[in-house]
Amino acid sequence: MIFNSWNFALFLPIVFLQYWFATKGNLKLQNILLLVSSYFFYACWDWRFMFLLIFSTLLDYFTGIKIHEASKQKNKRWWLWLSISVNLGFLGVFKYYNFFAASFADGLSLIGFKANLGSLRLILPVGISFYTFHGLSYVIDIYKNRIKPEKNLVDYSVFVSFFPLLVAGPIERATHLLPQIQKKREFDYSKAVDGLRQILWGLFKKIVIADNCAEYANLIFNNSGDYSGSTLVLGALFFTFQIYGDFSGYSDIALGTARLFGIDLLRNFAFPYFSRDIAEFWRRWHISLSSWFKDYLYIPLGGSKGGMWIKIRNTFIIFLVSGFWHGANWTFIVWGALNAIYFLPLLLSNSNRHNLDSVAQGKLFPNLKELSFMVLTFGLTVFAWIFFRANTIAHAISYISEILSGSLFTIPNFEGVGKAFTTSVLVVIFVLVEWQGREGQYAIANLGQLRNLPIRWSLYALLLFSIGMFMPSVESPFVYFQF
Amino acid sequence: MKKFLLNTVAFLFFSCLFYLVALFIWGRFAHSILKSNLDYKIGSTGYLYSRLSEVNNQKDLDVLFLGSSHAYRGFDTRIFSKYGYKTFNLGSSSQTPIQTKVLLNRYLKNLNPKTIVYEVYPASFTVDGVESSLDIIANDKNDFYSLEMALKINNIKTYNTLIYGFIMDLLGLNRSFYEPIRKANETYISGGFVEHELAYAKPQPFLQQRISIKQNQLQSFSEIVATIKRENIDLILVYAPIPKMKYASYDNNGYFDSIMKKYSDYHNFNEIISLNDTLHFYDSHHLNQLGVELFNKKMIEILINTASKTRNIGSTR
Repeated sequence: MIFNSWNFALFLPIVFLQYWFATKGNLKLQNILLLVSSYFFYACWDWRFMFLLIFSTLLDYFTGIKIHEASKQKNKRWWLWLSISVNLGFLGVFKYYNFFAASFADGLSLIGFKANLGSLRLILPVGISFYTFHGLSYVIDIYKNRIKPEKNLVDYSVFVSFFPLLVAGPIERATHLLPQIQKKREFDYSKAVDGLRQILWGLFKKIVIADNCAEYANLIFNNSGDYSGSTLVLGALFFTFQIYGDFSGYSDIALGTARLFGIDLLRNFAFPYFSRDIAEFWRRWHISLSSWFKDYLYIPLGGSKGGMWIKIRNTFIIFLVSGFWHGANWTFIVWGALNAIYFLPLLLSNSNRHNLDSVAQGKLFPNLKELSFMVLTFGLTVFAWIFFRANTIAHAISYISEILSGSLFTIPNFEGVGKAFTTSVLVVIFVLVEWQGREGQYAIANLGQLRNLPIRWSLYALLLFSIGMFMPSVESPFVYFQF
Repeated sequence: MKKFLLNTVAFLFFSCLFYLVALFIWGRFAHSILKSNLDYKIGSTGYLYSRLSEVNNQKDLDVLFLGSSHAYRGFDTRIFSKYGYKTFNLGSSSQTPIQTKVLLNRYLKNLNPKTIVYEVYPASFTVDGVESSLDIIANDKNDFYSLEMALKINNIKTYNTLIYGFIMDLLGLNRSFYEPIRKANETYISGGFVEHELAYAKPQPFLQQRISIKQNQLQSFSEIVATIKRENIDLILVYAPIPKMKYASYDNNGYFDSIMKKYSDYHNFNEIISLNDTLHFYDSHHLNQLGVELFNKKMIEILINTASKTRNIGSTR
């Protein structure tokens, strides 16, 4: 069941009405309902992987208690490593086995040995990267004495499996989500309306922007050898907006859905393409993952303490791991490395925390300096996305080589170029709406303050109409489900 | 909570109204490049508008033809009437079983045919049926069957075009349409046939492909066959001739034949008559008039044989 499907359009109101009416505000019943609905939601993908989800939940639930109960540090550490190794073991087998086996065989062949470790025909359980990180943060927080273990299995299971975030995040923290699950929730009219508004904006981003851009990004990337440099630039731009519309659209729907149940999830995107440097970009892109890596990898490695070289080493480590987290392919690792390289000048000049506020705060337009830094950062990001989207490193290099050739100065041409123009116009409108709303939680959050009801509703209805007019015929799954 | 639910319902109602008005304005005034999800064209290729304008005046047919463009470009009603058959051709562009069912539901009772010749083309069973649904929505009146068809196809383009079609029907804005008998190199012949100016196809290679039948199309097909049998109408399934190169491009013609044979009397003309890929076709899959004549004469032989078989069965009873 995906968010942009009729099934979900039916599922959500049913769960919502039961949650607020059938449970009569009983917290225990509400949490049981959320858990059952979440497992049903997950089983719609593939019921067999539910057992893996339940096993992972039980593992972290019990190891969390054992870590807390253990009197000796050695025993605590033992339980912690049991949880980490089993969780990462599952992730490794399902997501990375084939990559490691192939890379190992390739490595051996370079020194003259032939090895065939075989490959496993495994389907990646949807959401495994997300719920594994959920569980890991929970047991690490207990080990570090930041939180106490949750004794109520239902509450803990809801924390891991809450359906809006189950398959593609945001990656929650026990310190943020568990207290909300334990606390009695009252229906809040403005929160629910805001949730619906955010769902609507998320659907627009996914269906109108991402899915239309995907059509051309896929066409151009999959046949990149046939196209000129200028067309390939367009392909990279289409992918840039596809990945943003897709993932931030998903996050908006997830956050909005959770708000309907009185729960606030962590913000995942904050207008990253308006960033003035790459450090700001990473504070605004997939925030829940970046902060996870910061808290559970960067800081334990020493963070920014211990001199410049340690800082650089740790920065490279988290970017490389972050790249690898996205998928078992060298392209993701290079994408991570490239971002680390972009980060380097900021680190060396100690200017990675210069742009903490929104660009052009309180103003309509940015100044020339802000604009040029935004364009530069955007350009670097687009360049890095080529590695992210390419099938192999060789593919990415040939793609970039063609861009750098003389064909860059030709008129872009590909099948459906006329229709792609319509998509480009939609993207421009989308960017303008995002720009005007960049100081809110999401682009149209401030529409709620518009007093005139008919105008406000007409604007929402216009978004629905544009979804109906521009949605592609073929329903596309969310890109981040494959991670 | 009560306020939230009431406002949500009110907003949904408001949105529906907004959608209807915006769709109407968009359909009337927006440039076609902005209408990828709304395709309402009266009198588009295939003369369905003219065909359906005629159909209400037809009744008690000997033979009714159904199917895709291979039907309305393949069964020349003039040839059949020379042999004494009263026929009508209810084919339409890319007609899939989902659309055939709609047309049968609307017109079968009135046409009351003794025999139905249903042209079955593998591609009609492998597509979603969106293109043909738009043709029927724009060129025929819309009713409950249109809605049923749209739900079965479940595509935003079909939904939008159907809503727009309902509005056009309601406002009567499609009543003044006139379709000329002759368009470019085609002529509409009374009885539903479309004659293409004599031309010859250039032979061309085709990519190998497999016939993979969609379940919803097969389900509609089964329902059509059941309806026809319930009405005691003779049903002849026909795979119309296509160029040999095109026919050979399907890896699993045997699979398609075996399915069709299960349903009724079935004739694969690609195995019955031998036509020339250039001389008897005007494009990659449509017969030219020379091909039509050969095909129709053979079809008439089959009709005669079927009739005599039926008579024999009747007399032995």
